[in-house]
Parts: sequence; C-alpha cells; structure tokens
Amino acid sequence: MDLESLLPTLLGLAWLLPLASFAVILFAGPRLGNHGKGAAGVATAAIVGSFVLSLFAFVSWVAQHPVRAVAHEDHGGAHAAADPSHGSGDHATTSHATAAGHEAGHDTGHGDAVHAGSPVHYSGDWYTLYEGGRLKLSIGWYIDALTVLMFVMITFIATCIHVYASGYMHDELHDITDHEVHLADGSHLHRPGRFHRFFQALSLFCFSMLGIVIAGNLAMVFIFWELVGICSWFLIGFYYERKNASNAANKAFIVNRIGDFGMLIGLMALWGALGTLHFADSTGPDGHARPGLFSLVRPPVAGHAQWVPDGMVKFAAEEKVGAVLRSHADDPRAGVEQVEAKVEDWRDEGYGRWLLLVAGLGIFCGCIGKSAQFPLFVWLPDAMEGPTPVSALVHSATMVAAGVYLVGRFYPVLTPDALLVIAYVGAITLFIAATIALVANDIKRVLAYSTVSQLGYMMLALGVGGWLAGLFHLVTHAFFKSLLFLCSGSVIHACHTNDMRKMGGLAKVMPWTSGTMLVGCLAIIGAGVPFLDIGLSGYYSKDSILAQALLFARENPSHSILFYAVAGGAMLTAFYMFRLWFMTFAGHPRDHHVHDHAHESPPVMVYPLVALSILAVVAGWTLPGGLGIANMIEQARPAGTGGTELGGLLFSAFTVPAEHASHAHDIHVTASLTAFATAATGVLLAALMYVWGVIPPATVAAAVKPLSTFLANRWYFDEIYRFLFVLPVLGISQLVSGTDKGIIDRFIEGLAWGAKQVAGFDAWLDRTLIDGLVNGTASATYSVGLELKKLQTGQLRQYVMFIALGTVAIFVLAGLLFRSSFAG
Amino acid sequence: MTGMLDMDISSMMHAIVPALATTALPALPMAGINWHSVLFLLFAGLACGFAVGVVAADNVVRMALYLVFSLGATAGLFFLAGAEFLGAMQLMIYVGGTLVLLVFGVMLTAQAPFVSIKPSSSDRTLAAVAGASLLALLLTAAFSVDAWMAPGAGVVPAPTATPLGMALIGVRVDTPPSGSPSGGRVGYMLPFEIVSVHLLVVLVGAAYLARAKRRRTPRAIDAVASAMPVEPAVVATAAVTAPGRTTGGAKSALVGGGR
Amino acid sequence: MMNVSVAASILPPGLPLPVGFGMIPLFAANPFTEPVGVIHYLIVGAVLFTAGIACMTLKRNALGILMGIELVLNGANINFVAFSSSYLRAEGAPTLGLDGQVVALFVILLAAAEAAVALAITLNFYNNHATVDVDRADDLKG
Repeated sequence: MDLESLLPTLLGLAWLLPLASFAVILFAGPRLGNHGKGAAGVATAAIVGSFVLSLFAFVSWVAQHPVRAVAHEDHGGAHAAADPSHGSGDHATTSHATAAGHEAGHDTGHGDAVHAGSPVHYSGDWYTLYEGGRLKLSIGWYIDALTVLMFVMITFIATCIHVYASGYMHDELHDITDHEVHLADGSHLHRPGRFHRFFQALSLFCFSMLGIVIAGNLAMVFIFWELVGICSWFLIGFYYERKNASNAANKAFIVNRIGDFGMLIGLMALWGALGTLHFADSTGPDGHARPGLFSLVRPPVAGHAQWVPDGMVKFAAEEKVGAVLRSHADDPRAGVEQVEAKVEDWRDEGYGRWLLLVAGLGIFCGCIGKSAQFPLFVWLPDAMEGPTPVSALVHSATMVAAGVYLVGRFYPVLTPDALLVIAYVGAITLFIAATIALVANDIKRVLAYSTVSQLGYMMLALGVGGWLAGLFHLVTHAFFKSLLFLCSGSVIHACHTNDMRKMGGLAKVMPWTSGTMLVGCLAIIGAGVPFLDIGLSGYYSKDSILAQALLFARENPSHSILFYAVAGGAMLTAFYMFRLWFMTFAGHPRDHHVHDHAHESPPVMVYPLVALSILAVVAGWTLPGGLGIANMIEQARPAGTGGTELGGLLFSAFTVPAEHASHAHDIHVTASLTAFATAATGVLLAALMYVWGVIPPATVAAAVKPLSTFLANRWYFDEIYRFLFVLPVLGISQLVSGTDKGIIDRFIEGLAWGAKQVAGFDAWLDRTLIDGLVNGTASATYSVGLELKKLQTGQLRQYVMFIALGTVAIFVLAGLLFRSSFAG
Repeated sequence: MTGMLDMDISSMMHAIVPALATTALPALPMAGINWHSVLFLLFAGLACGFAVGVVAADNVVRMALYLVFSLGATAGLFFLAGAEFLGAMQLMIYVGGTLVLLVFGVMLTAQAPFVSIKPSSSDRTLAAVAGASLLALLLTAAFSVDAWMAPGAGVVPAPTATPLGMALIGVRVDTPPSGSPSGGRVGYMLPFEIVSVHLLVVLVGAAYLARAKRRRTPRAIDAVASAMPVEPAVVATAAVTAPGRTTGGAKSALVGGGR
Repeated sequence: MMNVSVAASILPPGLPLPVGFGMIPLFAANPFTEPVGVIHYLIVGAVLFTAGIACMTLKRNALGILMGIELVLNGANINFVAFSSSYLRAEGAPTLGLDGQVVALFVILLAAAEAAVALAITLNFYNNHATVDVDRADDLKG
C-alpha cells in the first residue's frame, strides 16, 4: 500500500476515532461502567488508537521520505527550500488523489515546477458536500510532514491528558458539593458528577482539532475551527454553575466570534476572487486541473514567487475589465482574450495587492481570536476556570496553537506586509502577556499569560519570516506547556488552591511534580549550553526565533524593536517561570495548613508528567542523520517561502529575510548568547527575589507601585474593553430599551388603555342595557309564568268553567265591539 | 219494501195522532192543535227536564238513568225533525252502547264513597251563573237570526237512510238544498274510513288502557344482561352455558368490569 | 203572527237585538197550534248544551263529567239536525241538507269512541288513585 492511499486512511481513522468515542459517550455515557467511569476508558482507548495510527503514519512517512538535515548550500537561490527527497533522486511525490483516493495522480504536466520546490503532500476529498459552479465544499485532506507531525503531537499530548484526567476528574464520579457556588440560601451547590460529560467533550475536541489539522480546504478548516470553539466553550464552562466559569466560557466564545468575523471576510475575499478554498491543486470533475490556493498565489510558472493571482487582479480591476468587455461587445470571446492578455499589465500596476493583503489579514483575524493575540487575548486567562486538563490540552497545547498552525499553513498566501502586521501583533502580545505574568499570583494564570506570551513568540517568528521557527516552537511549546499545566494541576490537586502565595516548599512533598515542572520551566526558558548547542527542546525553537528576529532586525533596522521584544520577552519568561517554581516548590511553606495536606499525586497523574517531561527535553533534538522535528517540519515548507521577500505596501519598504540565512554562524551565536544571557538574568533575578530573599519582592513592588498595580490589573485591558465596547453597547442597549420602554411601550400601553376604556364602556353597555333587556324579558316572563302557574290548578272542573265563561266573555266582547248580530 | 222505507215516522204521526185525539178527547178544541208541535213539546220537555235532572242529581246511578231518558227524548226529537236514521242511530249507539258503557263504568267504580259526591254550594252557585250566562248567550245567538225564527215550512223530507248510506260510501243521491256551496256533491268516503280506523285505534287503546296490570316476571337472560353491561361475549357464554352459574359469572364480570 | 223581523223593524237599525225582544212574540203564540221552527230545536239544544257544561263544572265524579260531555255533544247534534231538517226550515231559508245529519252521525260515532277511551282512562285513574273524584286528580297542578 503506497503512502498516497495509506496516509489518508490512517489519519482519517485517527481523526474519526474520537468522534466515535464522542458518539458512544453521548448516547451511553452514564451507563458506561460505574457512574460513567467507563467513559474515560472509551475516550482514552479512542485517543490511544488515534495515537497509534498517527505513529504508524509517522513511521511510514519517515520511511518513505527520510528526514535529513537541511541543505544550506544554495543560499542565494530564490527558492531555497530543501527538497527532502532530492537526495534519493526521484521527484517529490505530489499527488492529487481523487475522492476515491486510489487513483495515482502523478501530474507530469508541471513536473519541473514541482521539482522546483513544492513540498511533498497528498490531498484529496473524502466526501463532497456540495459542488456547483465554482463552489466546491468538501471534506478532504491535505497531508504533508507538518500534518503528520501535528497528528502525532496532538494525539500524544491528548493521550497523556486523557490518562491524567481520568485521575484528576475522579471527584466527578460521585455527587459533588461545589464549594465555590453559593446558593441563595447560603448552602453550597450539590450536584451529580459529570465525569462522562467531560470525556465526551474532550473526545469531540480531539476530533475537531484533528479535523483542523487534516483539513484540505479553508471551508473545512472553518467548520472545525468553530467546532473547537464550541468544545472550548463546553470545557471552560464545565463547572457552569460557577458564575466565573460560565462568564469565562461566554467571554471566550464571544471574543472568538469577533476574530472569526474577520476570518469570514478573508474567506469571502478568497472565494469571491479566486473561486476555490482548496489548499492543493485538484482535478475537477471534467478532468481539468483546478489549481489550489497555493498554486494560485505562488504559481509554479513564476517559480513559486508570490504574485497576485489573476482572479484577484481581475476582481480589483473590475472597472477596467468592464471597459475592455464593453469595447468588445460584438465579440465577447475576443474581449475575454483581451482581458486575459491585459492581466499581466494590471498586475504590474498593482491591482489586487490590497485584496491579497486583506485576505491574509482576514484569515489572521481568526488566528488572533483563536490564538489569543493582542487585542483579543483577554479570554485565555479567564478560560483557566475550566478543569486543569482542559487548560493543558485545549488552552495551551493544541487549540490555541491552531491559530499559529493556520498562519503556518496559510503562509504562502500571506504577503510580506501581512507578515509584518503579524510580527508586530505577536511582539505586542508577547510583551504585554509577559509583563502581566510577572505579578500574577494564580498559578494557572501565570501559565495562561505565559501561553499567550509564547503564542506571541510564535506569531512574531512567523511574521519575521521564521516559518520553521514558529511552527517548531509550536510543537515544542505544546509539549512543555502541557507538562507545565499538568504539573500545576497536580499542585492544585494537592493544595486545593490556585494561590501561589499559600504554597512553598512543596518540592519535598511532591518530588515528581516539582522535578517534572522544573524540566518544563527549563524547557520554556530555552535552557541550553550555547556553544555545545545542546539544550532542552525550548532551546532550539527559541534560539531559531531569536536568530530570525535578529536577522530581521539587521536587515530592517527600523524594525529592530521586534528583536528587543523577543529578547526582553525571553528574560521576562525566565523570571516569571522561575518565580512560579520558586514560590511553589522552593523555600519554606508559607501556609502550613496547605502544606500539611499536600501529597504527591497518584501514579495515573504522574506517569503523563514523566512522559511529557521526556518529550519536553528531547523534542527539539535532531538525531544524527537528521531525524528531528525541525527537519521534518522543513519537509513541509510551502513552495517558495524560504526566500527573501520584499514588502512595502503598508509599511515603508522592508525585507523579509530568508530563514536559512538565520543559520549563519554569527547570527546564530549572537542569538544563542542573547538567549542564554537573558534567560540566566531572569532566573537569577527570580532566585534573588524569591529564594535568597536578597531583594524582597515587596520592596520591589513598593518601589514601582504604579507599575506593579498597572500590571496586577492586567494593563487594565478588561477595564478598557469594558469602557470602550461593553459600556457603549450597554449604553446603546439602555437607550434602545429606554426608547422601547418609554416610547414604544407607552404608545402600545396607551393603545391598550384606550382599548380597555372602550371595552369597559362596551361591557357596561352590555351589562346594563343588553343584559338588562334580556334579563328583564326573562324575569318578566318568569314572573308572569309564576303568576300564570297559579291558574293551572289541575282542577278539571275549573278548566271547564274557564272555558265556558271565556267563551261567553269572548262572544259578549265581540258582540259589543263589532255591533253585529252574534251569529251573523 | 220501498213503501215501508218511504213511510216516515213523523208522517205516520201526522196521520195517527190527530185521529187519536179526535177519538179520545172529543171535548177539547182539537181543531187547531198541531200534533207535531205537541210531540215536540213533549220530547223537548223530557230532554230538557232530564238534562237538568242529570245536573241536579247527586247520585251517579240516577244521573246515568236520567241521561238515558234525556238521550232517548233527543232521539224522539230527531224523529220529529225528519232524521229518522239518525234517531235510530241515537237510540242504538248512545242509549244501547255508550250508556251501557257508562253504566258499566258506574258499576265498576260504584263504591260507597263515590256513588254520591256532593259538590259544594259555592260550586253550585258558580255553575248556575256560568250555565245561565252561557244559556243566555246561546239563546241570544239563536234568536238573532230571522230565518231561524220563522216556523217550519213542514216539508216532509224523503227517507234519509239510503242517501246517508250512499253519502258515506262517497255517492250522493239526495237532492242538494238550494244555495248549498258544495252543490251537495261531496261524499264522505274519506271521513268514513278515517272514523273507522279511529274506532279501531280507540278499541285497541281502550283495551290497553283498561287492561289489568300484572307484575312482569323477568326472564333469567334479562336479569343476566342487565347485571352485566360490559362484556357481551361473557354474557352470551354465561347465558348459554349454564343458567345456574349466571349469578356468579355476572358478579365476577361486574367486579372485573367495574370502573 | 209576529216574528222577530217585525220586532226588529221597529227598533233602530244597527242595534243588536236585545235578548228577550225576539222571545216575547214567540212565546206569546200558542205552542200547541203553531208549527215548530228551527228556533225551538235551537232552544232545546242550548238547554242540553248548558246542562252539559253545568254538569262538567259541577260533578266531581269522573263519570258525571263524561255524562256532561255526552249532553254537550247531544246539544250540538240537535242543532245539526235542526239545521239539516227540511221540515223545520222556513220557506227559502238556507239548510244544511243531508250534510248536517252526516256530521251528527260522525259526532255520535266519535262520542261512542270518546266514551270508550274516557271510560278506560277513568278506570285507570280509579286503579291508580282508588277514587273517581277529579278534584283529587291534580297531579298537573302548576
């Protein structure tokens, strides 16, 4: 079975297994085992199955496409991406597998172009939802090295977290008294456990996340994008009886919608101008090749250099197209040909450049929301209201990384200007989040802001041209951040509090947790030996980011702030991470009550920590022979993105340097030393303040009181947003509701009042006049009847008497009245 | 036959009575006496007198007797008016039939307290007033028409039995009176038939009304059916299989079917 | 011989004939010599009718009331016969002819039928109430 049909099958199964688990738990959740305990088994089995399948796919991939060290020899080339299979001498296998998935699709028509740089990928459609005109909505796949790697990464972390959660969520197996929920009568909420529901949502989340990764087109990405959003909503609001949790869930959902609005704009721009949302080329039902987004923006004929696609040019130059067509009204075919001939001129004139920028930035808007970038990062710290395994899986390792992943996936379409916007957004985010993390006291919030900051790192890396650096950091960060979160969960599990000020000295009680967390902290600050080039996973990814940022700053001195942001951020990261570790594990217990009750977590929670800590150490390593995550990601580098790019539409002219240039010795060494120095400074500062007590933190806080207050209040972002958006909206709502209540309701009430008055008059009329008439008639009839009743005596003889006398009376009366003879 | 039929009683009286009078009462001034009028006065007096007697009598047996006399005298008046068939019918049906019926009624109900129920004096007074006023009205009406005041022309009518019989079967053979709106051509076949059916109905109805009331003894199957309104099948089987077990079956069915 | 027309002619026209004026000349004549007219029969009928009505109002015995009914019917019958009789009719006066007798015949038949039914009702009443006093039969009192 060749890779082309094997990979969609393996990864498709790996993708669908959590869905099956979700369905099973959905319909049979509470009946699975005791109190739904079996749900954890089902979900874990599914994700383990996915992991095994992904691993199998990974091994198959590596076997077929050996991962080798990046070739650096062709520095000056316009498209320097290493062809990973170039050593084996055959073409990179680009296949356009059809929905059936078995049709070999070696497209020899543009074999040269493929050879020139298109990465190895397999694409196709499982199922076409709709196809009509240019629109094709399908459930398909786009599989390259990055996809496979992401699958392994996600399923591995998810497996660890499933195992961990089956211990962590143990309380939910029985009825729970939630001490954080105060009912109106002062008591605490008592509710049945929701163990199975947690794993149900977790399974659905895994399915959705894998769906984003495997998606073959942007529409499918968007579908699963929204699905992970709803899963996140479920999971943040897992303790929905707590007001904080439900508010945080709503906040996350609403803030993400804002980003998704921009994403919809981007989708519309792309589809309206290009008519396709597929990443890769495909073959239409008529047998014609349908170029995908990547080929349109970086066409093989142009050597994969980015240009504005024909569709966007024509879309932007609509007036000129119309003029040409009108001038050839007698011969439409000639007019179309004329338009096609003029597209090149219009492209050179710059038509469509803005549209491409808008499309890129629109898609990036979605990533801002999902990856919690400035200015939409406010939801992520609040999302820590969810259970800690959720924070580890959803809100640090995978879902928030989806935004970074999408930027990476969508990278060929992003123009240099869009990239610079991304870089600045990332820089601002990383700085703001890192400063807030300095003063946060909630252990999970420190990690949350750290996550935001690290996501900023990734965005910045992508923005300054470090495609590999950003995605590399995404993978390594996923490992050590999930590790850190699980460790913090372990601590919270032991201490029953999130407040670091009540912790301290826990290292002796929780050796495994403290050890693994130390590994995580070292990994996140990028600890390593600079000249030996050996370090933890974070060392490699962070170094490459620093190097790329430094390179960018050298090429564009006016944007050197980006490098300082990265370097300063690295120091801040080191400081707050070790502040966290020191406050939690080192020193003396601050709260003996907490300390005495603390204990090491059960093995089911410790094993995942160990597994993840191993990965946190080794994830960045490259084995001799080149096998390593970085080189594997490099295999998926989009065609034409390794080179130098020139930008200048939004900003003054600048250069996005080629990434391989950052491997140059001087850059690399400078970056490494900077990283080491900043990290060491940060750790030292933290140690001075929190271990040795040379600089008491209180003194520092007092010295820069305005600053620390500012930071403790999280730059007043929530307040600013409240002032800028929430209050105006509330004000407008109040105005509208006031209008509604004061004018419209009054008017309607007035109408009602009038109608009521008229009705009252009618009722009065009805009651007195008509009813009186009817009742009077009835009572008159009744009383007459009562009187007449007396005449009916039942005495036969009286009747006869009446008849006789009545007859006489009638005749006498008739005689008197008519004055005629009686018998006439 | 025809001669006998044509012989009318009143004309016979015209022939016989003056002869008797002249022979039996020679002293009396017989010459102007109209014997028809005399007989009329006699029968009229009898009829009226006995009618008043009926009113006046308190004993129901006497009332019946007076009524017989009064009706008999009326039959005489019919003869005198030339309606000999009607007079005969009056005697036969009324005196011979209806009154016998009445007398039977009297005898069947004639227990001591009911033979004589006396009305109160106020009733008598009231009845007298009502009767007097009614009589006055009737007489005033009777006297108010000139044509009725004139004495009779004395035309001896033809025998009426045949024309009556023919009229009743729908054929008119009599001479129509002058000025009769129908021209005297209207037969009475339909009323005759109606009356005959009416009599039949009366016969049946009277027999039904007056029949002896006897207590109805319900059959066993009726008792079962009325006890078990729910399950006809069970009723049928219970009734068919064993009448002796119907009581138990009915009870159980009643218990089972009771809501 | 005076008759009513004479009496009426001396009275102002248009005035109804008062009771008694027409009688005076009639009864002034010798009843034994004057031929009988319709009026004589009508008087007898009126008397019988009145007696019947009086009987019905007076008698408490149900059979007495039945007898009253018979008297009333007979009074009516006498009138029919009188109007149909050619012997009693004045010259030129209208007459019912044989129709009057037919009606009288039907009356007799219906009276017989009525007597039978009434007697049955009476017996029923007697059976149910153990009396024939109609004053006791006031079940339909309002």
